[in-house]
Amino acid sequence: MTLRMQSVKEGVYEERPGFPTQYGPERSDHQPGVPFWPHEVYRDLVIIFVLMAILLFLSAAYTPEVGPPANPAIQPFIVPDWYLLFSWGLLKLADVLPTIVFTDPLGNLINMDAAFWGNMLTFPLVLLPLLLLPFIDRGRETRPAKAAFRTAFGVAFFLGFLFFASLYATNDRILESWPFIADDALKWMVIVPPVLIFFATYVGVRRLGFRDMYWWNLLTIGAAFALVLLMTLWAFALVPWSIDGMDPISRLGTSLNPGTLPLTTFMLIVIIFSALLFYATAMLKEKKAKEVVLASSVIVFFAVVVFAKLFADSNFPATYATLKTLMLYSNFFIALPLFSLITFYLGTRTPYSTYEYLLNECYQCGKCHTVCPVTKVEDDALGGLNLVYNTFKKQHDGVPLWTCLACDACSAVCPLDIKYSDYILEERSKVATQGAAANGGRRYGE
Amino acid sequence: MITLDPEYGPARTIPHPVMFRVLDSEADETAVPKDLPVGKGAEWAYYPGCIDYYDQEMQFSHLNYGDTDHGIIFDSSIKLLKAVGLEPVILDRSFMKCCGHDQLWQGKLDVFQRMRDYNTSVIHRLGIKNLVTSCAEGYRTFKLDYRLDGVNVRHITQVLYERGLRLPPPKDGKTIRVTYQDPCRSCRQMPVDPIYEEPRELIRRVENAELVELKTFRADAQCCGVAQMMYCNDKTKGLTASRMLEAKELDVDYLLTACPKCLTHFGCLHHENRWKPEEERYRYRVVDITHFLAERLEGETVGRSPSVIPQAQDPRAKGRPQGAE
Repeated sequence: MTLRMQSVKEGVYEERPGFPTQYGPERSDHQPGVPFWPHEVYRDLVIIFVLMAILLFLSAAYTPEVGPPANPAIQPFIVPDWYLLFSWGLLKLADVLPTIVFTDPLGNLINMDAAFWGNMLTFPLVLLPLLLLPFIDRGRETRPAKAAFRTAFGVAFFLGFLFFASLYATNDRILESWPFIADDALKWMVIVPPVLIFFATYVGVRRLGFRDMYWWNLLTIGAAFALVLLMTLWAFALVPWSIDGMDPISRLGTSLNPGTLPLTTFMLIVIIFSALLFYATAMLKEKKAKEVVLASSVIVFFAVVVFAKLFADSNFPATYATLKTLMLYSNFFIALPLFSLITFYLGTRTPYSTYEYLLNECYQCGKCHTVCPVTKVEDDALGGLNLVYNTFKKQHDGVPLWTCLACDACSAVCPLDIKYSDYILEERSKVATQGAAANGGRRYGE
Repeated sequence: MITLDPEYGPARTIPHPVMFRVLDSEADETAVPKDLPVGKGAEWAYYPGCIDYYDQEMQFSHLNYGDTDHGIIFDSSIKLLKAVGLEPVILDRSFMKCCGHDQLWQGKLDVFQRMRDYNTSVIHRLGIKNLVTSCAEGYRTFKLDYRLDGVNVRHITQVLYERGLRLPPPKDGKTIRVTYQDPCRSCRQMPVDPIYEEPRELIRRVENAELVELKTFRADAQCCGVAQMMYCNDKTKGLTASRMLEAKELDVDYLLTACPKCLTHFGCLHHENRWKPEEERYRYRVVDITHFLAERLEGETVGRSPSVIPQAQDPRAKGRPQGAE
């Protein structure tokens, strides 16, 4: 048995099939797996129909009793279960949409009011995109780090959207507890933060795949900076109006109210911070930019704390007026700088520890083992399975870190274009650096 | 005491410690000289690399008294570049450092970064537009691991091919069989501009040369056995030997390569075989492709002076008992 195995191995090594593949244009045949349509859909439909049949049968056969009648003296706090809160929030939100009443050709009166729009928001705008997502995003990649759009839109955006819509379902309680928050602010909260979450996630996930996200960073942060600037001007126009309800255009520049000074201070902090972020992203080298952004965000954080302390102690009505103005547009003034900071961090972070994302593409075809020259001469490696897979699994791979020739024969035949020598390069410098630090600055082998 | 994660096996060993200490110590001097010997605006520059250090190591160290001549790569390259009408600035070792390829792949990232920063600033200060290198590792390192904006890094075979090197007809009509070893650094590892066709086209321009391919070639070419000068042992020599036996089976007259490292290790084994002349295994010459082409040009190629013939200095070359293993 042993002899036969040995002869098979030798046969493989001697009569190594030539792999005529060379580096060339991008390959498109790298998508393993079973497609969602139609295989998975058929199976799921069968399961859904069986479950529906069971439910219909149960509801027809066993009718539950109606509970005790409600006490009209008690005003209940009406909210649905947590998983339907978003739907209730969207129903509440629907009154921002116009009411359209018309008669259709058959003579029926169609009333497109808030209730109608609420239903439309719930189903076609939330559930339908989720149902259609597999058909819109035709990529077969299932790893979150590789499917950037699916992760950013299908997961991050939707989770954010559902969370903030659920938050709006309890808007009356929020307004009761924090009276300076405007209802409009909560309404904007439903759509603005999820969009920002989408962009931040997209940038971060793309960066995870070792892509240079300079232009994405520049665009998102530039747009955020421009928005902050615009909303600042708008907020200044609104300051007199928010105090006594007069027309902002006619009051512009005529009188100062107590809220103007703190508002100006806060705006200056926000604008300077956004401008600094934009400058660092656009002009500085990545490493320098990181330092500048880190230092400036720490400074800005303490500046905001000092600002709040100063004005809250000295002049409470002014602070109240400022908060009331700001909270109307709190999404922009609070979410945008935060979003810029997070996007910048995600877009410039070094995707070092995630290198295994590249190795775990391996599906163990074993071509690399067949061509690896080291496995032909190292005794330990003769029974090895596969370089990339075993390295990823941290098992003994037969090509220990320092024995690898880095000749890249494995990458040349890899059907998934996994760059094993890049991994070797990273790991060697890491191990050697750690050893130098642990060994009083000296390096290995010296 | 150094302890390594046991899953990675033994730590690296570097079989040429003195040479690498010399090379590494170069990196400690990071100040760029104020008065660089060349003026600004050099169009073409040639970087010979560390080949003179290899000569020191291969010919005079106790490890190997081989006769592989790396210095001739420099002379041949200059001769060939002159033949295609170029007078390059020579990026001499007096003001340039090693490109840092070996240090990078041995894991000495800090040393590599110092060398890279120094070399980058020198190259930019000289205002070089085209950087020609005769070394596959240098080609990869300058092209991929450096950030040389505005500098066009070319391997010498690419330059010779593009500028149309013309070789005179051979004096004797004897056909020679030639094979070419693809260095991994200049073919497989280059996602942009891999060098496959240029050396083969240049070999075809030699009229009496017949190009035959080894068992594995182009992107599948087997490694010469040693990369980044690590691990000189029986395993690596076995790989080198298997590659050289492939060439032997083809019955070639020349084994060509475009990488001084391949030349070093093929030459090392070639020389070891001479200790046992009764087992003459490799009856072909192992030369660099620049050397091969320059020999076919008119005029002398300045080589090593005859006073340093290593066989004359090798105590083991004479008086070695016959049949001793």
